[in-house]
Amino acid sequence: MLAHQRGTELDLSWISKIQVNQPAVLRRAEQIQARRPVKKEWQAAWLLKAVTFIDLTTLSGDDTSSNIQRLCYKAKYPIREDLLKALNMHDKGITTAAVCVYPARVCDAVKALKAAGCDIPVASVATGFPAGQTHLKTRLEEIRLAVEDGASEVDVVINRTLVLTGQWEGSDFIKTSTGKETVNATFPVAIVMLRAIRDFFWKTGNKVGFKPAGGIRSAKDSLAWLSLIKEELGDEWLKPELFRIGASTLLADIERQIYHHVTGRYAAYHDLPMS
Amino acid sequence: MAATRTGSRACEIFTTLEYGPVPESHACALAWLDTQDRHLGHYVNGRWLKPEHRSSVPCQDPITGENLASCLQAQTEDVAGAVEAARTSLENWSTQPGAFRAQHLTRLAKMIQKHQRLLWTLESLVTGRAIREVRDRDVPLAQQLLQHHAVQAHTQEEALAGWEPLGVIGLILPPTFCFLEMMWRICPALAVGCTVVVLVPPASPTPLLVAQLAGELGQFPGILNVISGPASLGPVLASQPGVQKVAFCGAIEGGLRLLIQESVWDETMRRLQARMGRLRGGRGLDGAVDMGARGAAARDLAQRYVREAQSQGAQVFQAGSMPPDSPFFPASLISDLPPASPCTQAEVPWPLVVASPFRTAKEALAVANWTPRGGSASVWSERLGQALELAYGLQMGTVWINAHGLRDPAVPTGGCKESGSSWHGGPDGLYEYLRPSGTPTCLPYLSENLNYDTFGLAVPSTLPAGPETGLSPAPPYGLFVGGRFQAPGARSSRPIRDSQGNLHGYVAEGGAKDIRGAVEAAHQAAPGWVGQSPGARAALLWALAAALQRRESTLVSRLERHGVELKVAKAEVELSVRRLRAWGARVQTQGCTLQVAGLKGPVLRLQEPLGVLAIVCPEEWPLLAFVSLLAPALAHGNTVVLVPSGACPIPALEVCQDMATLLPGGLVNVVTGDRDHLTRCLALHQDIQALWYFGSAQGSQFVEWASAGNLKPVWVNRGCPRAWDQDAEGAGPELGLRAARTKALWLPMGD
Repeated sequence: MLAHQRGTELDLSWISKIQVNQPAVLRRAEQIQARRPVKKEWQAAWLLKAVTFIDLTTLSGDDTSSNIQRLCYKAKYPIREDLLKALNMHDKGITTAAVCVYPARVCDAVKALKAAGCDIPVASVATGFPAGQTHLKTRLEEIRLAVEDGASEVDVVINRTLVLTGQWEGSDFIKTSTGKETVNATFPVAIVMLRAIRDFFWKTGNKVGFKPAGGIRSAKDSLAWLSLIKEELGDEWLKPELFRIGASTLLADIERQIYHHVTGRYAAYHDLPMS
Repeated sequence: MAATRTGSRACEIFTTLEYGPVPESHACALAWLDTQDRHLGHYVNGRWLKPEHRSSVPCQDPITGENLASCLQAQTEDVAGAVEAARTSLENWSTQPGAFRAQHLTRLAKMIQKHQRLLWTLESLVTGRAIREVRDRDVPLAQQLLQHHAVQAHTQEEALAGWEPLGVIGLILPPTFCFLEMMWRICPALAVGCTVVVLVPPASPTPLLVAQLAGELGQFPGILNVISGPASLGPVLASQPGVQKVAFCGAIEGGLRLLIQESVWDETMRRLQARMGRLRGGRGLDGAVDMGARGAAARDLAQRYVREAQSQGAQVFQAGSMPPDSPFFPASLISDLPPASPCTQAEVPWPLVVASPFRTAKEALAVANWTPRGGSASVWSERLGQALELAYGLQMGTVWINAHGLRDPAVPTGGCKESGSSWHGGPDGLYEYLRPSGTPTCLPYLSENLNYDTFGLAVPSTLPAGPETGLSPAPPYGLFVGGRFQAPGARSSRPIRDSQGNLHGYVAEGGAKDIRGAVEAAHQAAPGWVGQSPGARAALLWALAAALQRRESTLVSRLERHGVELKVAKAEVELSVRRLRAWGARVQTQGCTLQVAGLKGPVLRLQEPLGVLAIVCPEEWPLLAFVSLLAPALAHGNTVVLVPSGACPIPALEVCQDMATLLPGGLVNVVTGDRDHLTRCLALHQDIQALWYFGSAQGSQFVEWASAGNLKPVWVNRGCPRAWDQDAEGAGPELGLRAARTKALWLPMGD
């Protein structure tokens, strides 16, 4: 991941000056989804690009080493080889951006990835995920342990008590939500976050990454997210260092769309490998 | 596995992540043109008409220049035929119950829904506009318009009791946006029971398609007739017997003027440029394009303006992806234009934005209102108080706060100043096509012999006219201007005779200079009067009513001198008093809030004063008509210049004595003199916001002709007498509608 933010003096007056015109944000959100369709080869290429932004995620209470292993294998081979070949993209090293698991499963993931012979980073959610309502001491310890186990990225749940009382924290990456809320990554919220990222960049020259998570299930959704980033932040943000999509089922739909693009037919579920 | 289709470019796109073309198939539009053998005529009375020996105009794809079809140009007899069809179907259509017309409109809405792809591809193909604009906005809005007006038709008997449809409506459309602009106008017209003849510019097939869809509903084929022809047919349409009203719509979409406060100038320009840099232009039928093209003429216009601006020292920012070849022009942001340069004064063409800084909100308001146009504007601010202050102050038909370009069938859309004074949508849009029941249907009378250059030019000289036979006590001599009686500029007088032919007295002979002075006085009084609360206005009207009551005996005797019977004279005074009271009471119930589907927050429908209103009173009912016209004008916050009855101005001057003591100076100004001459002076005055004329047919014609110069709203009677003693005609809601201007103020909300 990126070198750490050089950081700036926290200036709360920036935050107090921020104004959000909600109706306008809603309109913009609608427009972006309607006005930037991509089709045919463009769609295939964009979808493959989207694959490289995915934090392939499993965050279930019943995760075990076996499904983690399967997930890691899918991260390494996200799209069926023959489909990639048909697109002449088989030698581009297309993998997901990372796998994302609970801290207790980091060990399994690191082991599985090593076995598959690849250097995809392991991301761990941490700090009392998803509520973050645990003691600072245990939260810090959790991060330390995950890193010890080999996690190279940590998704930290911020202390929302502090946020709601106006005490902010800084970060390299901001995420729409944990993905476990009733409402997760929505376009209007994303627009506001992206504008904040842009303003911060204009003010300080620091680039903060962005990760929408939760509810992004269809290939079409992922395309809309890519064009949202392209429109609001520009192409320079369209790389795994600055943009991730947290998703578990998205990859399957993307693969189905690629299958359709290549063959002209819609795939049955069993035509494509499980993740 | 099936045979594979290979994507050769995928690799390259994977790296650049560029956008690709998303062509919308326009096969159905072409197929529709094929049904007409690529040769479009007129759609009249449910049938295609292709008369012989007419010239035709090619309809071209504005981007490729490809010939799509040829369109016949109508001639006078084609116009006459269409009007005849509309007249014939009027009887049947206007007498149907509203609920029945509602059903028919609903069916048309469904018809449009069924063929929406054809509509949007055809419109985008021939206009070059971006498909998303047409598909996502225009076509759904067209359906909403039909549905909204179907509801209005359904409740017409109840909600619009006392009004009846005007008759056959002529509609003249501009080359761009003619489909949607047509819908805004035909929906209310058809809903209330009018029938329509639309004259579209050549090579505009979409209105023809709409007419065909309406025609194919089977019943009432003649209610919507569309003919295509040159603009020179406009006067022909207007002068057809039977056409009761002509609605004219000029070119719609221009560029924008942007006023940015100095303190946020840099930040705003930066964001604006960042956003404009991402605009994509291209073929309208591409689904991923923000801006289409408007053809070579529009591009040349924009290019000329930009070059001119650059030569005058302006900065021009152009960005965004735009195909380099004709006929595209990128959205351009122009700044640093010197304030006095010709470009600053000229109209900004599409797709340009001219940005200039301002210091205070007050300055911004002054700059924004310093234009002959008055269509729409938006105010962007997080300070609600200031935003509202600006929104109320802007002389515009529509103001959006922190939003732009929203439209809804329930919200009246219109303008003021040279943007015209008619309304579409909302309650106001309906009244455009209605008249109070029972008012005489005066057919437009156009005299060929009227000489506009000499009408009312000369004032006959007046000489002493025999012994004065007693005015006791005489009202002060002079013109009532600025709150006091003043000697006329010409220093001459005109004799007033009583019903016996004896000299009753002399009144001042007003002229051009006096009109100028009166208008000036009215303008000075305007801000004070507008600022008064409705309650305060009502109180003044009631005070005037009381004063009139006290003066009853004098007024009655003045009227008697002019041959009015005692009983009738008493009734006239009494009714005048009642009128003042009634309008005083109505002042307090103006404006309302509208609800719009899909919008969080209210839309305010404000009733604003027109400004300085000039009224030429009728000869008859010298007191009652004077008061009946004055009262609604004052109630709605206007300041007034009146010309009283020519034969009998004395009662009006009597009332002026009370106004001198009760009303602020300049609020009401009364100028006596030669009516034709004063009418001429008023009609040719550019700084009067509206003119009402009750007099001869010739005078009406002159007033309409002269006022077309700055499109000020006029109300003329074409020589038809009006029953001022009847409430419907003397105090009906029509007067209130004429005396005020609507403004729609959009207040979207959100946390």
